[in-house]
Amino acid sequence: MSIVLLAARVDLEHVLIVGAVLFAIGLYVALSKRNAVAVLMGIELMLNAVNLTFIAFARFVESPRPLDGHVFVIFVITVAAAEAAVALALAVAVYRHRETIDVGKISLLRW
Amino acid sequence: MSNELNLDYTLLTPEFCLAGLAAIVLGIDLFAPQVRKEWLPYITAAGLIGILGLSLGWVEKESDFAGIIAVDNYTTFFRVFFLATAAVVVLMSAQFVRDRLKNPGEYYALLVVSTIGAIYMAASRELLTAYISLEVLSFSLYVLVSFARMDPRSNEGGLKYMLLGAFASALLLYGLSFIYGSAGSTFYSDIAAAYAGGTESFDLALLMGLVLLLAGLGFKVAAVPFHMWTPDAYEGAPLPITAYLSATSKIAGFALLLRLFSSAFMPVIDDWQWMFAALAALTMVLGNLVALQQSNIKRLLAYSSIGQVGYMLMAIAALSSGTASALLLHMSGYVVTNLAAFSCIIAWYNLTDKEEIADMRGMAERAPLLAAALTAALFSLSGMPLFAGFFTKFILFQAVADEGFLWLAVIAVVMSFVSLYYYLMVIKELYISKPEEEGRLQVPLSVTGLTAALAAGVFYVGIFPRHLFEVAQEATNLLFV
Repeated sequence: MSIVLLAARVDLEHVLIVGAVLFAIGLYVALSKRNAVAVLMGIELMLNAVNLTFIAFARFVESPRPLDGHVFVIFVITVAAAEAAVALALAVAVYRHRETIDVGKISLLRW
Repeated sequence: MSNELNLDYTLLTPEFCLAGLAAIVLGIDLFAPQVRKEWLPYITAAGLIGILGLSLGWVEKESDFAGIIAVDNYTTFFRVFFLATAAVVVLMSAQFVRDRLKNPGEYYALLVVSTIGAIYMAASRELLTAYISLEVLSFSLYVLVSFARMDPRSNEGGLKYMLLGAFASALLLYGLSFIYGSAGSTFYSDIAAAYAGGTESFDLALLMGLVLLLAGLGFKVAAVPFHMWTPDAYEGAPLPITAYLSATSKIAGFALLLRLFSSAFMPVIDDWQWMFAALAALTMVLGNLVALQQSNIKRLLAYSSIGQVGYMLMAIAALSSGTASALLLHMSGYVVTNLAAFSCIIAWYNLTDKEEIADMRGMAERAPLLAAALTAALFSLSGMPLFAGFFTKFILFQAVADEGFLWLAVIAVVMSFVSLYYYLMVIKELYISKPEEEGRLQVPLSVTGLTAALAAGVFYVGIFPRHLFEVAQEATNLLFV
């Protein structure tokens, strides 16, 4: 009974706020960390915030196509996995040359 | 919208053929003996040209696949555009890849695959499709930029490009989620319908969505202040890929922007017009001013291409059917010109291993044809009469001014004069400075032919812009009904 009540009280705003907080944390991590893998983790967190937002809108917003948000999320998850694979491969390639993946120290190319 | 989906797969024939071509190229690389690898670029280019001919069969047809991929004149225009660009880049790569890169099969296959992504970016009528196409293009480019595995600069450029690109995708997606929440659909036509009556009050979700969308796509087309990856990726990438980045990746971003904003966000034009105008002004000014102090030709062209993006963004800010067709014309002129410039630079690099501007001194004596073609290309980029850049810029700036953005057009004209300075610095090295070594360089016949053809294209667009302009009008008319 109490679980049902709790579920009934979760509104769109609540999910959106969680999504926004998650996105902000991801943004902070992606911008502040110097390690390429940590930056990637921040980006993954941002993508998860996106997924949460999509699901929330798909659940709460009146739409002629209620499934679209869910489908979007499936694709985002897939793309995120591919993204991690490519980025880690590149990080390994850089590490072989430089023995570091600190984006602050990888500065052969000046701005 | 009717419930009957049009699942006519024949509409997508060119892209199926492209996927097949990529598989064939990979297969040849894998199974055929070493000798055949010499022929890979020519097989790929022949395939691309063949598919280009095939895609002309959809001229004047208007249809769509399941409501998500439009096959109309706009799509056909960009199919031809991207296939031709890819074919030229493949031909430019032939010698470079043979001498300097490993795994030619993967290289050409990835180029072909990225073309599919670029075409669907122009063709998609739905946000998810547009996003996936964008990622198909981007992922191929991430790998291609870092393709010179033995060169630490290439890896570094690739990693930076990848991280910033993924970051931009996350911003873009967050923006898309808000637009989905605000409009209730991911289809362009449904979004336009949702906003058709105007937004009665201040719509925060829409505004946030637009800002994030703009930031994400701004990264992809390299608009200031989202341009940081451009010089690094351009300098690090193998030279033909730099050419490809400056052509296809940029134009595909604009193809997506143009269709998205004209068919989905036209009703809320007041909400985003000022953002594009501000971005355009910033991009033009910064791109051209920073280009003044570059010493590497790739970085110079990177910043000059950022300046060009500024001109193109003006057209989106002043969006109307007039500016849209002018934008298509300007993009065509820009790509022909840029490819001509890069084909000279690649040929020079193949012969001398040098890519600093100072190292190009005396090119006029050592390789007169290359120097002449490069000069023509640089004049065209700065917008001198007779060359492609003059008419395309003239029509674009005039169309923008007609829409009430006179101040943007004025900035653009001033910045074109600024750009003339740094292009002339390069031309000075080519013609006035004495060469390091004496003696003519032997430019291969195929390179000479390609360069001459591209230079002829620069003049053709410059002297007879009418033909291309009419095609551009045909292609964009359907966006503004």
